[in-house]
Amino acid sequence: MSYFDILYFLVFVPIVVIVYNIFPKKIRPLILCIASLVFYLFYSKFLIVFLLLSILSIYLSGRWMSSLDKKKEMALEQAKKEEKKEIKEKVQKKKRWILLGTILFNVAFLFFFKYLGFFTRVTNQLLQVAHVDVCFKIIKCAAPIGISFYTLQAISYLVDVYHEKFVAEKKFFKVMLYLSFFPTIVEGPITRFQEVSSTIYEGVRVSYHNFCFGYQRILLGLFKKIVIADRLNIFVKSTFDNFSIYSGMTLACSAIFYTILLYMEFSGTMDVVIGTAEIFGIQLPENFRQPFFSKNISEFWSRWHITLGTWFKDYVFYPVSLSKPVKKITTFIKQKKGIRLSSLVMGAIALFAVWSLNGLWHGAGYHFLFFGYYHFTLILLGNIFEPTIAKICEKLKIDRKKKGYHAFQIVKTSILVFIGELFFRANTLHEGFGMMKKILTDFSWKDFGELFTIGLDIKDYFLLGISLLVILGISILREKKVSIREKIASKPIYLRWSIYYLLILAIIIFGAYGTGYVPVAPIYADF
Amino acid sequence: MKNALKSIVFIGILFVLLISISYLLLPREGVFRYGIIKTAEYEILGEKKDSIDVVFVGDSLIYSGISPMEIWNQFGYTSFDMANAAQLLEVSYKDIQVAIESQHPKFIFLESNVLYRESKNKPWNYDWVHFFETYVPIQKYHDNWKKYVLPWIDDTAKFSRINVYKGFRYITDHQKGTNLSYMDYSKKVKKIPEENKKWLQKIQALCQENHVTLLLISTPNMKNWNYKKHNGTKEVADEYGIEFLDLNIDNPVQIEWSIDSRDGGNHLNYKGAKKLSHYLGEYLKKTGILTDHRSDSHYESWNEAYQVYSNHLK
Repeated sequence: MSYFDILYFLVFVPIVVIVYNIFPKKIRPLILCIASLVFYLFYSKFLIVFLLLSILSIYLSGRWMSSLDKKKEMALEQAKKEEKKEIKEKVQKKKRWILLGTILFNVAFLFFFKYLGFFTRVTNQLLQVAHVDVCFKIIKCAAPIGISFYTLQAISYLVDVYHEKFVAEKKFFKVMLYLSFFPTIVEGPITRFQEVSSTIYEGVRVSYHNFCFGYQRILLGLFKKIVIADRLNIFVKSTFDNFSIYSGMTLACSAIFYTILLYMEFSGTMDVVIGTAEIFGIQLPENFRQPFFSKNISEFWSRWHITLGTWFKDYVFYPVSLSKPVKKITTFIKQKKGIRLSSLVMGAIALFAVWSLNGLWHGAGYHFLFFGYYHFTLILLGNIFEPTIAKICEKLKIDRKKKGYHAFQIVKTSILVFIGELFFRANTLHEGFGMMKKILTDFSWKDFGELFTIGLDIKDYFLLGISLLVILGISILREKKVSIREKIASKPIYLRWSIYYLLILAIIIFGAYGTGYVPVAPIYADF
Repeated sequence: MKNALKSIVFIGILFVLLISISYLLLPREGVFRYGIIKTAEYEILGEKKDSIDVVFVGDSLIYSGISPMEIWNQFGYTSFDMANAAQLLEVSYKDIQVAIESQHPKFIFLESNVLYRESKNKPWNYDWVHFFETYVPIQKYHDNWKKYVLPWIDDTAKFSRINVYKGFRYITDHQKGTNLSYMDYSKKVKKIPEENKKWLQKIQALCQENHVTLLLISTPNMKNWNYKKHNGTKEVADEYGIEFLDLNIDNPVQIEWSIDSRDGGNHLNYKGAKKLSHYLGEYLKKTGILTDHRSDSHYESWNEAYQVYSNHLK
């Protein structure tokens, strides 16, 4: 049962809403918890065991660390001044071991399910190069759905408890709900405990307003996925799977189409996810903020998959840049070469760690690692050359605040993103380079006609064009901070309903579903 | 209360809109001749009258395993899959009635797996699905919007009102089938339920009355077929004098279960369907009864539909 399955939004969610409303406020979070486990069982069946083990480990470790903090506070109250430091250090050391042990326990599952195959393959390749006649068997097994997402959430919970940002939750089912909440378990957003705990355990009754607003958001998500992403998938699937038979122009379009497809699929899923949570009065963080209006790659990543970016910032970037070895290096450079170079180096080291992990998080493959390092390089180059570009613009009297320059930056950033996504979608790194080579060496406008022979006809393109214009309009309004749903809600009923009917009928009539269509698999669910 | 009423009105209007648009998108050929409800129920009514040579009737094994467009492309015979998931024999009877009334085909192939399905064991949602498909057929015909958008660009208009897949469902998933001993010889016989034997007799009588050749076919299926069922079907086929083609015996289609199934040997995927369709085309060719229509201008829409079909499959 995916979020785009009719069974999800027309059967599962309404049933949960009815049961949830029947029970008293106190019981409602428990209902959400049970619904989440049922949803997970549908998806991952017996693999739910691994989710439960993770939850149990997080709960117990969190409680343990918080009880140590409590004991520490009590001991500090009675301790003499000179003993306080020792008590603090002792508790901190114990907590560190608990934290590391639990993180390792959870990351071990992630490693086993997601990376063992890849690293076994790499080891075998290395052994082959070294002429060692040993070949390890590659273990293939299905991973528990959303393992990459809930593992990151689990780590954030533990680290925040470790840093005493909050006291670990006493009730087991509440931790379970936080880590397994059915709208977020498959593709995020990666939430923080403090961020959602204020609404997720509230148990507010599903109101008519929340129900309507939630379903409006779900409808937008369905439109993005079924009308746009699934239609583009016809073209993208063919061209990426058989790239050698297509021209450079077709492959360039394919990279653009894939980027649009990915955005529509992922942001559409987020609309369904956030809309579902909204029905229950739960506020989830946004994962996208009009990324294609970004003027550089750094900004793009602050608008695209926001919750992943902030997770890496808080739990990798800052800890690495503030770590003792990095501090040593940067202090040394600061003394020798000045503050600018030292901050560049500090940023570079932390960014390298972030993008290595970001690439690997997206998947176990060389092309995912390449994808990570590609963005690392672009961001680093952006940081290095920013002052130079500013100087050049000043000399050439180019006003960097003008709309024309912004448009140029947006186009430049988009092209860089398209290239990155080409490698991201390519079946292997080798194929990614093969596609790039064809784009650069075999590009001719004469091949324009080929675009109409790969499953999409002129009417499909017309439909896609109109649909993307609608999404662009919505994005512009959002960028201007206009609350579209509030605006629609303020219109007379006939106008309001007409808009809803139009959206629903557009999905049903223009949706790419049924015989002949292969819907996009939930892309981020695989990560 | 006010909000509940508003919701009911909203959903009511939505249903009216859905049903109205559904019927706008139905194949016009069928609507004029057979009315909207019947056309919505039977996809074959969207085809020109008496234009189909062969009809394949049955359950998901038929719509997963036989692609009429592949038969058309290789042999020039027109065929159609009249199949629904978990189809019952009484429904097959109705399908055959409609097929004969609208197409008067020369051959009707009936999937023998249906002979073992009893109405008391039908899935819980069977009637619901059937109701929904009949009265809100938009999910089958929604692609016909192309007929109304940019009508002067007519690259799809000629066939956008008919099903270019002719009842076939294109699925490329693959999951290896492992039960390679599923057709080990056995003397045991799995009896066909009495109720179904009566329906089979009725189907046979209907076909004989209309001079249509009826054949029983067992398409490759590792999960639901075995030698006992083969014996049971053979027994009844011999008794009634119906030709029985069991394609599970000796694997004449040369199905490779490692790549040709979408779900571990239950249904064929597109690769398997191509092989089975080719085999059936060859079989029909050997009968010498059918003619190749590929260069017949009356069947031009089939050539055009094939272009769309092959374009979809790229």
